[in-house]
Amino acid sequence: MKRKLVLILTGIMLAGSILTACGGDSKTDTTAAADGELEGDITFWHSFTQGARLEVIQEAADEFMEGNPNVNISIETFSWPDFYTKWTTGLASGNVPDMSTALPAYVVEMMDAEAIVPMDDLIDQIGRDKFSESALSEGEKDGVCYSMPLYSHAQVMWYRKDLLKDAGLEVPATWDQFAEAAKALTKDGIYGCSFPCGSSDQMATRFLNYYVRSGGGSLLTDDLQANITSDLALDGIRFWVDIYKNCSPKDSVNYAVLDQATLYYQGKTAFDFNSGFQISGVAANSPDMVDQIGCAPLPKINKDDPDYSAETSNTPLVVWQNSKHPEICKAFIEKLYEEDTYIKFLAATPVGMLPAIKGISETEAYRSNETVQKFIDAEQIIAKAVDMGTSIGFEHGPSIQAGLLNSQGVIERMFQNILTNGEDVETAAQAAEDELNELFRIIQ
Amino acid sequence: MKNKRKQFDYVRWIFVLPALVIVGVLLIYPIFSSLYYSMTTKHLIKPAYDFIGLANYQAVLTDPEFFQAFFTSIIWTVCSLTGQILIGFTSALAINRVKHGKGVYRTLMIIPWAFPTIVIALSWKWILNGVSGFLPNLLVQLGICGTLPQFLSDNSMVFITLIFINIWFGAPMIMVNVLSALQTIPQDQYEAAQIDGASHFQQFYHITMPHIKVVVGLLIVLRTIWIFNNFDIIYLITGGGPADLTTTVPIYAYNMGWGTKMLGKSSAVTMLLLLFLLLICVVYFTILAKWEKEDK
Repeated sequence: MKRKLVLILTGIMLAGSILTACGGDSKTDTTAAADGELEGDITFWHSFTQGARLEVIQEAADEFMEGNPNVNISIETFSWPDFYTKWTTGLASGNVPDMSTALPAYVVEMMDAEAIVPMDDLIDQIGRDKFSESALSEGEKDGVCYSMPLYSHAQVMWYRKDLLKDAGLEVPATWDQFAEAAKALTKDGIYGCSFPCGSSDQMATRFLNYYVRSGGGSLLTDDLQANITSDLALDGIRFWVDIYKNCSPKDSVNYAVLDQATLYYQGKTAFDFNSGFQISGVAANSPDMVDQIGCAPLPKINKDDPDYSAETSNTPLVVWQNSKHPEICKAFIEKLYEEDTYIKFLAATPVGMLPAIKGISETEAYRSNETVQKFIDAEQIIAKAVDMGTSIGFEHGPSIQAGLLNSQGVIERMFQNILTNGEDVETAAQAAEDELNELFRIIQ
Repeated sequence: MKNKRKQFDYVRWIFVLPALVIVGVLLIYPIFSSLYYSMTTKHLIKPAYDFIGLANYQAVLTDPEFFQAFFTSIIWTVCSLTGQILIGFTSALAINRVKHGKGVYRTLMIIPWAFPTIVIALSWKWILNGVSGFLPNLLVQLGICGTLPQFLSDNSMVFITLIFINIWFGAPMIMVNVLSALQTIPQDQYEAAQIDGASHFQQFYHITMPHIKVVVGLLIVLRTIWIFNNFDIIYLITGGGPADLTTTVPIYAYNMGWGTKMLGKSSAVTMLLLLFLLLICVVYFTILAKWEKEDK
């Protein structure tokens, strides 16, 4: 009997130890020290995958930990698509970071899921008037700000000066001129412009949005329904189908953002649309080509149409509701906005990341950057576009619908159906509009 | 009754308990949680959801895109499996006849299995790239094609290209297993058949096939499940596009769960997939059992 009892107890202990091992939470639960000194571990997810930005953030974290010896910051880096999967799945299991970067469309979903905390205290501390009102409004719900814009950029048209000069062409100011130039430059292994519509990215939505915004329209109606069948949107679809057929590599039907940009970086396309990140991409891939690239505002439908901007991105930082140490997160964010750290961070991708707080772009430290000096015209064009634009669909204010418009690949599949299966433009547009409206209905 | 209770040995059950718990957590729990969620409005990032009975199943079974994905999966599985078996089987028979350097050939053949799928997918994407890919440019330079062939975007080529990649990836596994089975066949049976004047085909049909058919049958069962459930190669190379031409059921389910975040509906798709594969397994195992019975 005793032997049996010992065996039973051993079995229970073994089962218990396995269950404990399976169920343990490795996250250290620490508290603030009695003297008010910051104390605890935080995890920071960001999407600064390129070396220079990664290093600056790590350096800032190291400096912060040096000044706060009881704080430990673990940094994890993900590309934007991975980041989206990571936080949406993590939210269900409670496996989200303490703080992270985000995209404005994600912030809307995060606010809707009550996953992030208000940032008003920190915004006021840094100076609310230093931030652009429209950038702050992208993370605002019921008068409370849930995100802080870290940097800004906007979409403009990039072209190859040498190719245009050789062909005796001017920088296009209208879409018609653009199409004409792109067709003329499609020769000798160069494509006029790649039209990307891979369904894993939002590139076709972005390109269609350029055209629709240039005509003063929107891909969403005022009551936040999909607006793909308006005359303007149909014209836009036909325009890009024409560009694909005449100026684009056929593989671009599957392209995501990096595939698209790489073609331009390698000198295989004459035109592309991007922010100032295009400069660092070309510099890294084809340094000899840097002097031959230039940017201009997005083309208009008619030359005398008003100036516009189709897409501004204010990349923000957020602090997660699950965080046990929001005070550490906010203190670290404040550190990132300190002038020296902030300028060093922006200089990691000069002209790619424009300051989200006023006063920085006028400082000597910012302006002395070699790339900023070289591309000062581009910087001014992009800065003007930043001021005039919003994220795609945010012209009606932040909404879940705008996020879904970008994230579901519906417009990309619509273009694929037209280009691959030869579907009629009106039919494909109607199907895409219905699909989007059904998604909007479900989410509500 | 009392005696029976006395004979029941609790100790062995207690020792088995940890294993049972692990199996329960890792296998049974996901199946039952999927079954439960498939009958709810569960959303990936919204905590609240309602029980809706079989409405998700009804929605999925009336969605033409589901059936398109289902038939794409069937064609994907049948073509990939047939190609893998033909190539794998033929390679195994050929290598079995090799006298010297058998190990080298075998190693070369299983190279695709030595790489992670992400490496394989990105390598093929690079090789077949319609602008700078090695193969399209080679075909143009050799004068075989007038323009760069678009293996991954042309609607008549993209699915065939993916099937080719899957055959290239899966055939070595069939080869290694069939080769192992071939090496267990006693050589004296072939010698006796040769003395009796049996042709090569007769030797293959009456000696080789009966010895390896159970192994091949099991391989077919396993490969059918793996290929039908295959997600990574297709997703990494085409993402199911263009125009859903390469969207199989797992990609459809993924888009439903992680794209639209409708976990309830996505779970209904996976439960239907499970039922279908169980049905296939029952058919296969019935045939296998019949073969084994015949052998005895």
